[in-house]
Amino acid sequence: MAWFWMIFEPLATIGVMVGIRTFIMSGRTIAGADFVPWMIVGLMGFYIFRETMMKPMGAVDASRGLFTYRQILPIDPVLVRCFAEGMIRSFIFLLFIFVGELLKLDLLPDFGVGALLDWLSLWALGAGLGVLLSVVSTLVSEVGKVVKIISLPLLIISGVIFPITYIPHQFQQYVLWNPIVHGLESMRLSFFDGYHTINGIDITYLWLWALSCLTLGLLMHIRFSAKLKAL
Amino acid sequence: MIEISHLYKRYHNHHGSDWVLRDINLVIPDGTSVGLVGRNGAGKSTLLRLIGGIDRPDKGTIIRRRRVSWPIGLAGGFKGGMTGRQNVKFVARIHGVKARLDELMQEVQDFAEIGPAFDEPVSTYSSGMRARLSFGLSLAFDFDVYLSDEATAVGDRAFKKKAQKAFKDRVSKASLIMVSHGESILKEMCQAGIYLKQGEAFWYDNIEDAIAEYHHETD
Repeated sequence: MAWFWMIFEPLATIGVMVGIRTFIMSGRTIAGADFVPWMIVGLMGFYIFRETMMKPMGAVDASRGLFTYRQILPIDPVLVRCFAEGMIRSFIFLLFIFVGELLKLDLLPDFGVGALLDWLSLWALGAGLGVLLSVVSTLVSEVGKVVKIISLPLLIISGVIFPITYIPHQFQQYVLWNPIVHGLESMRLSFFDGYHTINGIDITYLWLWALSCLTLGLLMHIRFSAKLKAL
Repeated sequence: MIEISHLYKRYHNHHGSDWVLRDINLVIPDGTSVGLVGRNGAGKSTLLRLIGGIDRPDKGTIIRRRRVSWPIGLAGGFKGGMTGRQNVKFVARIHGVKARLDELMQEVQDFAEIGPAFDEPVSTYSSGMRARLSFGLSLAFDFDVYLSDEATAVGDRAFKKKAQKAFKDRVSKASLIMVSHGESILKEMCQAGIYLKQGEAFWYDNIEDAIAEYHHETD
């Protein structure tokens, strides 16, 4: 059943989103991209980020039994989960692209290498935050709950469902503080040749976040490894 | 030889934390099996975890010059969602076993004698079955020192006998550091004893003396 939900869950979400979208704002279009592929790319990009961030949070607690072996460090299950989530999400995305192509949805990226790099960037951002949060949420369990609450509006403010071009110009600079926006919009630019988005999209900004979080997370894993094991 | 010098350990909690172990100085010679005795909460398991290297002392050092096993016992050691076979494979791999992996898995399966449950998730095992598996698993590796934290306590009669025999066969090559409240098994398996009392450790060359002292304190 796990396999079924892995594919059906994003499919159902896309169905619901497309439904809402056609119901509420049927008149407005997205510059340079069809709505459904635009949405799939955004949702998939958001999912790989969110899952690689969320799944490592429980990893240390779930693998407590294995710390009986001194070879296993708390970072190990965290890295495994980051890797596994990335692989699962990549597989599902490839499946969607393949099926989408068969349905003539135009889901093949126009700039393949660019799309791949953007996809990896979103994975890196999720993994960086995941490594960091795996330490913090194990030491302070409230953090995990707060992150779960925050991750809901992230879907909206990252421009997954509604294009950020709809946001008034004077607020767009604040939207750009969110590194996920940079990843998603870059990926859409790589996927759709004629796509237009707001100015200031910069994948380097996302990597700054990803590498900073990853470095801090790894440092904290070293600093707190004994404490994480003993908790 | 395992050298423990000036070892301190405490666990932090919200309302101050007292030392669990205070200034422990011990030298455990090669080939000597040692029994750890003491009341509940005296720090026996903590000391064993420290010797096993899965926990770090707050102060002091532990020098291990032998291959020491992980603490074999009731808690932990397996991932519940994976089958017994998968767990065995995993542990063998983190210990660097490559060539004789299949042989090792067969050995563990034969020793544990848990039948078809070997291919069921470990979360479905009874405590006795887990003990059989973890004991069999540890015997599959050639450690110099085995750490046992009540490893045989929940086993049935046949298993206890088998486990004791397996250890006796290895006595020439390996020694044992065990925590147990079963005094007959301590007397049978160990030569020396450590009595833990209020965070301090006392070494006895004869396990009988350690048990006698323990009785003397608690009576």
